[in-house]
Amino acid sequence: MLRIEALPEPSRTMALAAPLIATGITILISSLFFLSLGFNPIDTLHGFFVQPLMSLNGLSEWLLKASPLIIIACGLAIGFRANVWNIGAEGQLILGAIAATGIGLFAPWQDSVFLLPSMIAGAIMAGMAWAAVPAFLRSRMNTNEILVTLMLTYVATLFLSYLVHGPWRDPAGFNFPQTALLPYKATFSVFDHSYRLNSSIFFAIAAVIITWFFLERSFLGFRMSVGGVAPNAARYAGFRSSTAIWVGLLAGGAAAGLAGVGEVAGPLGQLSAHISPGYGFAAIIVAFVGRLHAVGIVLGGLLLSLLYLGGETVQLQYGLPSAIANIFQGLLLFFLLGGNFLINYRIRRIR
Amino acid sequence: MPPRLELSGINKAYPGVIANDNISFSVQPGEIHAVLGENGAGKSTLMKIIYGAISADSGEIRCDGKLIKEHGPAVSRGLGIEMVYQHFALFESISVVENIALSMPDRMNLPALSAEVRTISKKYGLPIDPNALVLSLSMGERQRVEIVRCLLRNPKLLILDEPTSVLTPQAVQILFETLRQLAQEGCSILYISHKLDEVRTLCHTATVLRGGHVTGRVDPSAASASKLARLMVGHELEEVSRPATQKSKKPLFEVRELRLAAANAMDTALQNLNMEVFGGEIVGIAGVAGNGQNELAAAMSGETVNSDPDAILLESRPVAHLDAGQRRDLGFGFIPEERLGRGAIPPYPLSENALLTAHRQGMTTLGFTKRHRAKDFAAQVIRRFRVKANGPDSIASGLSGGNLQKFIVGREIHLSPKVLLVSQPTWGVDVGAAAYIRQTLIDLSRSGKAVIVISEEVEELFEVCDRLYVMSDGKLSQSIDRKTANIEDIGLLMTSGAEYDYRETNIA
Amino acid sequence: MKNFNRRDTLKLGAAAGLTATVPSHVYADTLLKVGAVYVSPVSEIGWTKQHSLGIEAIQSEFGDSVDVTVLDNIYVPQDAERVFRELAAAGNQLIFGTSFSHSTPIQKTAPRFPDVAFEHCSGLVHLDNLGTFEAKYYEGTYVAGITAGHVSKSAKIGFIGGFPIPDIVGPANALLLGAQSVNPDITCSAIFLNSWYDPGKENEATKTLISQGCDVICSMTDTATGVQVAGENDAWSIGYASDMSQFGNGKHLTAFTLNWAPIYVQAAKDVVNGTWKSSTRWLGFNGDVVRMSPFNDSLSADVIAAAEKAMSEIKSGDLHPYAGELKAQDGQVRVQAGSVLPDQEIRGFNWFVEGMIGNLG
Repeated sequence: MLRIEALPEPSRTMALAAPLIATGITILISSLFFLSLGFNPIDTLHGFFVQPLMSLNGLSEWLLKASPLIIIACGLAIGFRANVWNIGAEGQLILGAIAATGIGLFAPWQDSVFLLPSMIAGAIMAGMAWAAVPAFLRSRMNTNEILVTLMLTYVATLFLSYLVHGPWRDPAGFNFPQTALLPYKATFSVFDHSYRLNSSIFFAIAAVIITWFFLERSFLGFRMSVGGVAPNAARYAGFRSSTAIWVGLLAGGAAAGLAGVGEVAGPLGQLSAHISPGYGFAAIIVAFVGRLHAVGIVLGGLLLSLLYLGGETVQLQYGLPSAIANIFQGLLLFFLLGGNFLINYRIRRIR
Repeated sequence: MPPRLELSGINKAYPGVIANDNISFSVQPGEIHAVLGENGAGKSTLMKIIYGAISADSGEIRCDGKLIKEHGPAVSRGLGIEMVYQHFALFESISVVENIALSMPDRMNLPALSAEVRTISKKYGLPIDPNALVLSLSMGERQRVEIVRCLLRNPKLLILDEPTSVLTPQAVQILFETLRQLAQEGCSILYISHKLDEVRTLCHTATVLRGGHVTGRVDPSAASASKLARLMVGHELEEVSRPATQKSKKPLFEVRELRLAAANAMDTALQNLNMEVFGGEIVGIAGVAGNGQNELAAAMSGETVNSDPDAILLESRPVAHLDAGQRRDLGFGFIPEERLGRGAIPPYPLSENALLTAHRQGMTTLGFTKRHRAKDFAAQVIRRFRVKANGPDSIASGLSGGNLQKFIVGREIHLSPKVLLVSQPTWGVDVGAAAYIRQTLIDLSRSGKAVIVISEEVEELFEVCDRLYVMSDGKLSQSIDRKTANIEDIGLLMTSGAEYDYRETNIA
Repeated sequence: MKNFNRRDTLKLGAAAGLTATVPSHVYADTLLKVGAVYVSPVSEIGWTKQHSLGIEAIQSEFGDSVDVTVLDNIYVPQDAERVFRELAAAGNQLIFGTSFSHSTPIQKTAPRFPDVAFEHCSGLVHLDNLGTFEAKYYEGTYVAGITAGHVSKSAKIGFIGGFPIPDIVGPANALLLGAQSVNPDITCSAIFLNSWYDPGKENEATKTLISQGCDVICSMTDTATGVQVAGENDAWSIGYASDMSQFGNGKHLTAFTLNWAPIYVQAAKDVVNGTWKSSTRWLGFNGDVVRMSPFNDSLSADVIAAAEKAMSEIKSGDLHPYAGELKAQDGQVRVQAGSVLPDQEIRGFNWFVEGMIGNLG
């Protein structure tokens, strides 16, 4: 008989070993799975984890895809630590992208060097404004922010759809639901024209550093974490829950808005009905794979991005159906998140 | 007839600690056997070994003469060994009978089980309504659920771990009656406690533990309290000294016509409370649990904010509209009865638990925490209040209850508040630490501060307080001078509330 | 999360041919490497299925000497651009984009790989190495509309579209015009899903239309949901892209199907022969790109004859679905009697004709 016991203190060994165990189990199970489908597991795993990174273009794509995930996950982690559940980063990203595109296309200061900076500021503010709605409702009326943020994502998607089908549709675009391309000055410059990686990667680095300092060293970060771990202790100490709600949601909104401008002024270059492959939702997984820790989020974002590229590579190289690639991605994420269980609990055999 | 339980040479070591060192004793059928010791003496480890929840490094356990080879909780249940833990494992949102059924997978017929629960509870004087939701139950009632759950299995040996730490004096009496009845029927009882009085009134024999080994086997009713204490603590207990004091001219803390509606059906409404506390004195608030003490404590601390600023005055300044942090800024301190999760953040180190309320002591600059300051502060508290902990980096939840309480009391006193509110200062705290905490509170008041103690232990209040109020059904009595009061009168005031009669003494 | 939830079916193997599941280096004498990007998973029927048949046609034409790489369910622009770049960088000489969603990505990628031939279905921008091809769907919907006009008892038909783009709005208009050629009082309610592949939404949209009294449903998406739900609710249906009669519960009137195979094969041949040039192809019944699937058996011979007559007249040019007089929803005359809507306005259709109910939102 097996028995689950809570550990008196989180296990430090397991904190490091759990991801390795999870990876091991995933590799084992998926190898059997690949074999049973007639694919060589070594080739397939190589295709997943190594091949995407074997070229400069691969590295560029890896970082390009990881960057929005990391930025958003950083913002979300600040809220999640305080039990503020912002599930609507996708909508906040869309609002950020809308604001950035609006400024980039229609601002009167088209030739100014401040065009891109104003787009960035506008995107951050738009993301925050979208997140301010659930913050206001939760702190004033105690509405559930999970529902409000999620519902506002639908509103954002429909608003985006309205803009690209209606007033912002490119007049020279044959009625396609997308805006005109952003002018050159309104886009992030690429490091090399052969690759898509652009200077917005620096925002990801900045987001990680700021998040680390906020979560691990700032007093406000401490207060918010207390509110998440022990709400009664926060009330006892007089830490205001409304502060945690506002800061938690606005941080997520700002980060998602920043990721939004990174996409439109980066690889997209324009608004269309589909501007995010679910970054706002995938970032929730990144935040938890990273255990709500800035450094962990970097690893989580890089991993998720790699899994995605790897899924394409095995499809391209070995003709592995995309559904099988998805099963592999799901397995790894499942074991990674499930493995965190071992940090706080142990499984013991009793007879 | 072989002993019901016989331990020989039980050893258990954890890295750095020997929890049980060569422990041997036996319990006869129908015997109430106390295992007495301070927190950290190894009592809980020993009970878990007996129950099979953890395994000993070496030693033998015999039940009714038979050696238990492969131990485990399932084996225990098969042998008729049942355990009531200090912390209850009940699901709050479902009913009593559903909770019981969950632990008895073969007994899913709820109506039949309910009837059985009623029978048992009537037989042993443990009134509980099988259909009540657990969240509506007091701690005493929850304990009854746990006990009834064990009794449904007809135990031969019942282990109780600190059963009275959550009970009122009257509830303790009810529990004792039940245990005596069980013992008369032949059930052996292992009673783990650090409370000398209880052990002396209830138990037939006592095994005293200190530092993991047995320091004495005594007949508690014959041994003196001071002898038991010496076996437990290793030295004589100092008497609490209460020197004379000079009260301040103006009250430091006042409650004026404080009113508070009940937030939900479980809460008690506060009705026009009045109280004043002067510098240099300790004022006690007595009462049976659930008569509004929690609500009053939250209102005084600022965890509950009042719309009328004048309902509470701190140094004549209206503060009832301020939150807990703002009241702390003005010199208010508070030690709540819940240590884990309210007074302390369980998974955080002591240094960050210091930061929780001591951050005003220059532990932040420009919004960043100065972690070395927090560590220094925690280290000072650990030293000054003799907290048994592995330094400021120890995790709060890893400390024993008494040591964590010492840390919290120490943290708040180290902040030298002008007014300190303490709720249940010595709940679950061992004898030595309890005496130390009481003395510390007296010393604080004698330095000119105002101290308010909320306690359900009337003896404790008589030991430390200068004046008393009694709380009953959301109302406060007039101020009572301790010198002119006696415990019986206080007890009468405590029981004047109608709800009390129903909840605690109206045994079906 | 959609990104990590991409769907596929094991059909891929069949669709892409065996070569796609075997590493390319096995074949030493590869004549041609072809890449294709699908907007949705390949299923038994529908838009992407028809494109996969085009790829299969190339494979049966060239056999082992063609090497095909296929990626499905790519619709987000960031990902599409990466995939096009990867396919080009991997040495594919001919790359197909199969959706209007691939427009900007394929337009951004093509100039970087001037030696690669890009073919874009539904595209409108054509560059030196980016050709476009498109079907005249409206010819098919017009003929289907004639059958709908005959069977509709409520004089209400329903239309479901993926996006309100000209290539969908125009066919919706033609459907109604075809029906009105039988019964001038017929109206058509239109709903847009803002997705090519959302069976759940499509299911609800179909039920909504039926509950409003529509007894013929035509759905231009990448699923057979519209046909299926209509059949379950005893309403007539018109299939799109593939013959969907197997889903229609006997109520499938006809389908206007898409046959891209000639275009795919021709492009491949041109690349192999070195004669490929970027061009624009816009074909309907003429060119055999748009076809009508067998009409429902229960339709009377008269109805079928009327439909077939319209088909041959469209082929010959005697009949134009958008011939005047055409009024917009607000009653304003947009095409005078005696003239027809010019081609470039057909490809930019962004208004509904009179009798359409709904809006382009």
